[in-house]
Amino acid sequence: MNQRNRIGAVAAFAASMAVSGGASADGIFDSLNVSGYLRYEAAYKLGGEENPYNQGGNLFNGVAVERSGGIPPSEAGLFNDVETRQIAETDNDFNMMYLRGRLDIGYKFGDNFNFVGSVRAIYDPVIYDEFNPTQADSQACCDYYQQPNYFDYAIEGGGKANPLEWTGRDYMVDLPALYLDYQNGPLLVRIGNQQIAWGQALFFRVLDVPNGLDLRRHSILDFASEEYSDKRVPALGVRIAYQLNENWELDTFAQKFQSTVYGNPNTSYNVIASQFTVRDFYDDYSDELNYGARIRGSIGDFGVQAIYSYRYNPDGVFRWTKSGVNRGLPGTLPNVIPGLTDNLGNLLQAVVDLLPGGGIPVTGSILAETAFEVDPTGVHSADEWFTYAAMARLDALEGLNASIEEFPQSRLLLAAPVESDEAARRELDLFFQLSGGMRGHIAREYFRERVFGLGTSYVVLGEPGSFLDQLIINLEATYVPNRKFTNTSLSRNYIDQDEWTSALVMEKYHRFTRAFPATYFVFQYMHKSQSDLFGRHLSGFGATPEESVSTTGGIDGGSNYLVFAFQQPFPSLVWRADFAALYDAEGGLLLQPAVRWKPNGKFTVEAFYNYIDTVSGNPNSNALSTAEWADEFSMRISYQF
Amino acid sequence: MHIRKYDFNYSRRMFMEKTLKGVAAAGVLTPLWPLVAEGADISKAYPDELMSIEMYTKGKIKPGDILTADNVDIVKDLLDPISYMQVKEMGRRIEIVDTVTDMETLFPPKFLEATLRNKGKAKIGPDGNIYADNGGPWIGGLPFTDPKSGEETIANITLSWGRHDYCQYAIRQWDIAPDGSEAYQYDFVWAELQATGRLDGTVFQDKKDLLRYQSVWFTAPNDISGSSFLSIWKYDQREFPELYGYLPAFKRVRQFPTNQRFEPLVPGVTWFLSDAWAAGDPMLTWGNYKIVERKPMLGAVSDTFHGSKKNWEPGTHGGPKGKTFWDTKMSLVPEVIVLEAEPTGYPRSPVGKKRVWIDVRNQMFIAYNTFDRRGDVWKSFEAGWSRYKDGNVVVKDANGNPDWSWTYIHSHDVQSNRMSRIHQTESCAGGYKSLLTAGDTDVYNKYLTTTAIQRLGT
Repeated sequence: MNQRNRIGAVAAFAASMAVSGGASADGIFDSLNVSGYLRYEAAYKLGGEENPYNQGGNLFNGVAVERSGGIPPSEAGLFNDVETRQIAETDNDFNMMYLRGRLDIGYKFGDNFNFVGSVRAIYDPVIYDEFNPTQADSQACCDYYQQPNYFDYAIEGGGKANPLEWTGRDYMVDLPALYLDYQNGPLLVRIGNQQIAWGQALFFRVLDVPNGLDLRRHSILDFASEEYSDKRVPALGVRIAYQLNENWELDTFAQKFQSTVYGNPNTSYNVIASQFTVRDFYDDYSDELNYGARIRGSIGDFGVQAIYSYRYNPDGVFRWTKSGVNRGLPGTLPNVIPGLTDNLGNLLQAVVDLLPGGGIPVTGSILAETAFEVDPTGVHSADEWFTYAAMARLDALEGLNASIEEFPQSRLLLAAPVESDEAARRELDLFFQLSGGMRGHIAREYFRERVFGLGTSYVVLGEPGSFLDQLIINLEATYVPNRKFTNTSLSRNYIDQDEWTSALVMEKYHRFTRAFPATYFVFQYMHKSQSDLFGRHLSGFGATPEESVSTTGGIDGGSNYLVFAFQQPFPSLVWRADFAALYDAEGGLLLQPAVRWKPNGKFTVEAFYNYIDTVSGNPNSNALSTAEWADEFSMRISYQF
Repeated sequence: MHIRKYDFNYSRRMFMEKTLKGVAAAGVLTPLWPLVAEGADISKAYPDELMSIEMYTKGKIKPGDILTADNVDIVKDLLDPISYMQVKEMGRRIEIVDTVTDMETLFPPKFLEATLRNKGKAKIGPDGNIYADNGGPWIGGLPFTDPKSGEETIANITLSWGRHDYCQYAIRQWDIAPDGSEAYQYDFVWAELQATGRLDGTVFQDKKDLLRYQSVWFTAPNDISGSSFLSIWKYDQREFPELYGYLPAFKRVRQFPTNQRFEPLVPGVTWFLSDAWAAGDPMLTWGNYKIVERKPMLGAVSDTFHGSKKNWEPGTHGGPKGKTFWDTKMSLVPEVIVLEAEPTGYPRSPVGKKRVWIDVRNQMFIAYNTFDRRGDVWKSFEAGWSRYKDGNVVVKDANGNPDWSWTYIHSHDVQSNRMSRIHQTESCAGGYKSLLTAGDTDVYNKYLTTTAIQRLGT
């Protein structure tokens, strides 16, 4: 679809929504309900930082870095040079700008049936200063590592991850809801594409296990008060709920497994360093089903719920994989890289002369059997490797070793496991000197797990008007035996550990002044025993650009997060002020003040500011620093019909 | 026509005396309810000037006349201060109709039957709640036809809001900005299912500890559509209801605090949960109930059903753009109780006091004002009631009789000059229809469980 067609399609969609505006029609369409909205949304950068996980924001672009290559496993530096990463720095004013439309259709028929359908369409005018692969002279393999693509979700095999989604580089259209309800007495059967959410905790996903998240659009930086309404990945399935009696409800589902969707490389909210190429093997799991059941009710004054889910963890895990890219070290002679010493050239020549076929070109077929690909968009120095390993919560040292040990062909290029950060630096610098940049290829796989969860709630009855009166306290916890985590070395031997996740949620309304409606507060605490908020294993936290996590050690004792949020409506609710703060006990802080203005029924304006910083400690020890660059002001202007 | 046995001020003196002495019986010339029980003409209970607006105003206003700014001063004492201001200053017009003499016009038939059947069987227990003579929860109809206290008066409304075992109101609401424009419009459904105090003589699912299930779900516009709430009222009126809500953003049913009942639910709206039925909170969470006056009043108690109009929606008029008020009709109500109460269970409430004008004939409110903590009048929540018969269009109960319900609400915040103009309509967005009976439908599972509000949400 070319640009004109895309704009035409969006315009036609908008026009169809406009003419369909309104509620019910007459006659057989009495039960037809059509509504929707058009929305402009943008996130304006207030800070000067670009996303460091993208090529254009790479921290080493234009920075002269001293390299010292050595022969593994020695710590001795033999070949010294200075490298400057030549990828052009991008300079964006906006992190995001979309035109979004949504059309919701509901139709009741008979006493028992109800159809719900929603169409979501998003167009991105791509006003960004994008990564230019031509400028970088990149030939990097695989989908979306060339020109940035904002909406396609690339999976190995070229299939379509979500059957009810149509995407292109700058647009997406999907059906977040397309289901039929059948209700008969206490029985509710919902069949079709649907989102399922469980639990009382907001933002913290403890019992909320049925669906993954779609982080392509505004990632986790959207309007906090909407939680994951735009994020949960809908999936085809059947949900059956049964009201056992007034107090107890049984809720079950079987749903097609849909993975969490991450932002593509070199797009605004990408979180996977773009020196990596992700090979997503979702297609191998796309026919799999997730299952779950929940029972919810009350015992005395306590609300209780229990869940069980047998599911594929939608976040997946990552490991090194063969690149399959047959591209040799640059040039026809070993000593082609300016600045390399004769010794290095002679050494490499001697090695490659021993190979069948001999000569530099054969290194391409060797590299194809390793996890690496030669390309200037890859890593250029040990400093960059260590820095990004720390940022990705990976182990720079063991990551190198796993990439060698699990791909024996790499030894043909002199690669060898090492035992210290220093030796790793020497080896890495050597290969970066030889290659002029190497990309790492990682596979994304998925594993089944069993999630057992419990939740309880209690409403405090205090003195009328007191701060504790009508305080709702919830405690939720899940236990997942043998959960698979990405190994911090990216080894195929995934970390396999039991994980506990628990959250304490307290919320209430309190009226501070008679001049304003009550303020809604929520306070939450979450503890995860093995991983961070986003599922990264804590053994990868705490590294620095100088030292790998093998040296610094990871985080023990689990991760801990606090949320404090409030909503303050103004009289008549025309204005509403929101505030959300997320604090990672390791020093990360996210603040989101927001204001919502609804001057009339048609228009809504929402504005919010995202501030993320590490207020104490090592940024690589907290979960939030991954988005620390995103200092942005967002605005959404909606027109509904 | 009665012989003028009493002078014109007789009824005024009588009302003052009844108020001061706490005499409960409705009626001036004779107690009202024995007449009702005998099926007699209730006009015998009142002198002519209380049954005829023409006589009351000495011929200045008569049925068929329109109250306007030019003549409203004649009946200023028959209107609450906000209604008077609306006519005097905002261009509101009110058509005057005949005073209702037929009690069946003022009740759902079955509710009147239950009231007569159970008359005298209610009492207030030591805990302040209302119990039937068997010690159980109330058994349907008005518990106190001649309330002796403010508590008994408010109980008449609180124990059965809609006066049916099940009501489902398809509601359309327009919120009028101070400039007179229709700034917001909402469609929603409000459903009430009585657990106790039922007219069919049963207790729903043996839930003696509950008064009612009540849910509300919004069907338009898009940004609020799918929001649904379930409130489970305890029979014990000292306790707050349980509140569960489904918000589209959260995609799940969550429990919500329920003590904040003085908050706008959606932008632009002027009414609070507390305002519903002038008795929106458990009655014992309010206190200092006082009957402060008895008097005649103008009220929209009949002829306000517009079944012959499209979707039952009448015309509008008044305000800067002619959209602020429904076209309404009022008649002289011979006797109202003026009840005041304070939100003693809500020390942080912005409301300092409410004043409710209650028609003694059917013990339903016809006007309701709230006052802020400074004592200034804040809002009016004026309801219209009617038999559901408009020409050939009749909404019938199970026995084929014309049914009865509320028709419109004017919720007017005079401090911000915002008006919520609300109407019970034949249907609203989503295809939901107003119903005054559950019929054969399993409404509990359809609309009044957490599973139901999960389904109603989208």
